[in-house]
Order: sequence, then structure tokens, then C-alpha cells
Amino acid sequence: MAKKKSKSGSSPTKASQDPPVLQGVAVGANESDASGADPSTPTKGNSDYEDEVAEEEMELLQVDLGDMIKMKQVLDEGVSASLLDHVPENYQWDNVKLLLMFVSCAFAMTAQFAPIPFPESRPVLGVCGTLYFVLSGILQFITTFIDKDMILLTNPLPKPTSVKDESNSNPPKKSGSNKADTNTNSSTTINPLLYEYGLRVRSNFPRFSEFYTMILEFRIPKDDPLHSSIEEKSVKAVWSVGKFFDKEGYFDEVGLSNEVTKLFKRLEAQDYNGKESDKASKKKTE
Amino acid sequence: MDKQVYELKKLWANKRQLTFQVLNLAMIVFSALMIWKGLMFVTLSESPVVVVLSGSMEPAFQRGDILFLNNAVEEVHVGDVVVFKIKDRDIPIVHRILKVHRNETTGKVDLLTKGDNNRVDDRGLYAPGQLWLQREDILGRATGTLRYVGMVTIALNDYPVLKYVLVGLMGLFVLTSKEG
Repeated sequence: MAKKKSKSGSSPTKASQDPPVLQGVAVGANESDASGADPSTPTKGNSDYEDEVAEEEMELLQVDLGDMIKMKQVLDEGVSASLLDHVPENYQWDNVKLLLMFVSCAFAMTAQFAPIPFPESRPVLGVCGTLYFVLSGILQFITTFIDKDMILLTNPLPKPTSVKDESNSNPPKKSGSNKADTNTNSSTTINPLLYEYGLRVRSNFPRFSEFYTMILEFRIPKDDPLHSSIEEKSVKAVWSVGKFFDKEGYFDEVGLSNEVTKLFKRLEAQDYNGKESDKASKKKTE
Repeated sequence: MDKQVYELKKLWANKRQLTFQVLNLAMIVFSALMIWKGLMFVTLSESPVVVVLSGSMEPAFQRGDILFLNNAVEEVHVGDVVVFKIKDRDIPIVHRILKVHRNETTGKVDLLTKGDNNRVDDRGLYAPGQLWLQREDILGRATGTLRYVGMVTIALNDYPVLKYVLVGLMGLFVLTSKEG
């Protein structure tokens, strides 16, 4: 995809379409170059490169590129942070897990600190011990089988209240009728499912692989008829980690944030298979 | 080390994540503790795993060996290696049973012990005036051993600072390495 863009000719925006890896390297180089360009007065260039220089002010996180776990963690956190700009987080499941942990710790503490001397305390120990292991087992089960690759759960978007402005006086209806998108001038509709269901964000980053996969899908309960088409109604993106990490391990948080926002916009536009964004980019290159 | 400090600061800012990590750490500690309690429950013994501190049972057991005890036995016999505690003394002793006398009418059992490597029996170690041990003094019979693994415990006992250093380091790393 990047190659197509650079062959598109001498358009002035060519510099901004360089693969972010190069931008990352430039950023890394600037870190070590103490007497580099003065970042406080960015010129009004037409490329993102100038913006990257301006953002030199903020420290970039550096990660050991061999540490797979840390890289996944950094990517997951970046994804969560940028998505939470668009949708509110759901704490319910997290709270359930925290409660389970707390209760099992409480049982363990009674077993340990009960002021009964040993031989008599045997029944107490037995009960608390078994309960502790049962709860602990449930927690492990949840983490392994129910959570799997999930990294974030969100709530549905709050339904916008009707506004006096005539252009969007119609309150959104569940039947998915056209709503005016307040952000753009075109009449694209925001995916009505976003108002009904929260999202589940799943991420996959196999060991020793360079590809990080991210899936945004709706959390549809099992008894809802839409449940069978969850996979069709999800958006997925696969990125090489080289897109966000340079060879010294500096992490391009802004780049990730932009990519995640693009993905979310695809979900908003109900562009589940990426076909429309492909069409859009082809139009640009013509 | 800087990275750990950075991670700690990040944790402190996000209270929810901090609670999660603290509870995670607590669960790990409690898992170990509950296994210990479980062993206590099954073996009926106050301290189901002990470390041999002296050389009085050589060549069978060396200083630094770990012993697994089982107290759920009705009777102990001559030749069993047992761990016992003398009344009002803290440190349990691991020696072998030398003599067993059972009173047929009352059912009371008297025991005499001796360390393999000692020249005399343990009467010198018992409380003043005590000539025999009773079954209640026995913490358990040795049923398994791990050679030299207990050296760590001995080191921790001799230099108590190490205990805090070790636990502190472990806690720090668990809190700041988020695998959960």
C-alpha cells in the first residue's frame, strides 16, 4: 500500500505519506541529536514530519524490542487509551474480577489470622482453604476461557439528546434511519449499533511474530438475534510492529492513536470489510 | 531500576490498575500460604515442613535438608525419625526413636530418642526431671526429604535482613510486571 502511494507522482503531500517507520527513525535520530531543530517553533509545513518534531517535547517510551510481553502491553495500553477518547469504558466485568479476588483474599486471611490454635482450628482451615482454591480456580477459568484475548470493554455511546438546531432535530432511532453526522458535511450515518451495544476489543500478538492484530467487535448478548453475525459486524486491523516501533524501540504513540481512530471511524461508517476505505484511498491516488 | 520506578509511578496514577496489581500480588502470596495450610490440615502437624539445623543426624540427614512430616500416624515405632518439641522450648528437634514403652493397662506410651550422630540419648535435652517423651510432644514422623534445599532458609535465619530484601524485591517485580 505504501509503495502505491509513493509511485503516485510528485504530489506535494508525498512526504507525509512516507511509511511511519521512517518517521519513527527520524524521531529516534532527533532524540540523540541534541542540537537539532528548535522544536518550539515548528514551521507550517504540509507534512506530518513537522508535527513529529514539535512533539519531540514529549518523551517517547522506549521498549526493549525483544521483550514481546512488554511490547504487547504497550500496544494494548495505547489502543485502549485512544479508543477511550471515543467510547466510555465498562467497568462491570473488571469489578466482578476484583470482587472475586478480594473475597478469596478475605478467606485466606481468616485462615491465616484466625486466633484459634492449631489442632482446634483444623475445620476453619479446611473450609477457608477449599473456598480459597475454588474461587482462585474460578478466576483462572475466567482469565483463560472467558477473557481470552480481550483487552477492553466499553459501554454503548450515550444517545444524543435532540438539539434545537434543525439539521439534527431527529433523535436517533433503533431502526437505523439516517442521522446527520455532526462531524462531517457528508451524510454518512454513525453506525446505530454503537448506541445499543458496547464494544469488545481483542488483540492478538503471537510470540516471535511481527504482526499485531486488533479486532473491534460488538458485545451482543447470546439471546439477541444479532449474536450470530458478530464476526461479520466487526472490524479488524493487522499492523506490523515496525509501524509503531523504530529500530531502537521508541514507541510512536501518536501514530498508533491515529490508526486506532481510523479503525474506529470504519466501525462508525459500518465499513466492516475495509472495502470502502480501500475505495477512498484509491480515489486519492488517482 | 529506573523502569521499575517509572512503572510504579504510572501504577500510582491509575488507582484501578494499582488495586488490581496489589490484589494479584496478594493472591500469589496467599496461594503459597494456603498450600502450607493445606499441608497442615492433611498432615495434622503444626509445621509440616522443617529444615534440619544441626548435624546430629548425620549421615542420614545433613544440615540444610528439608524434611516433610506426617503427624496423622497413630503410633510411632522404634527406628522412626521424628521431629519433637520439648515443652517451653521453641526449636523442634529431629532425632530417631530409640525406645518405646507401652503401658498395657493405661495405654500410655513413653518414648526415648537419640540423634544418630550423638553419643548419648536425648535425656540431657529434655526438661529437668523429664525422662520420657509423650506422643503429644511429637510433631510428626519424617516421610520425605529434599537434600540441601533448606540452606536458603538457614541463610535467611542467620541474616534476617535478607528476608526483607528478598520479599521486597519480589513484591516490586510482581507489582510492576503486568502479565495479568
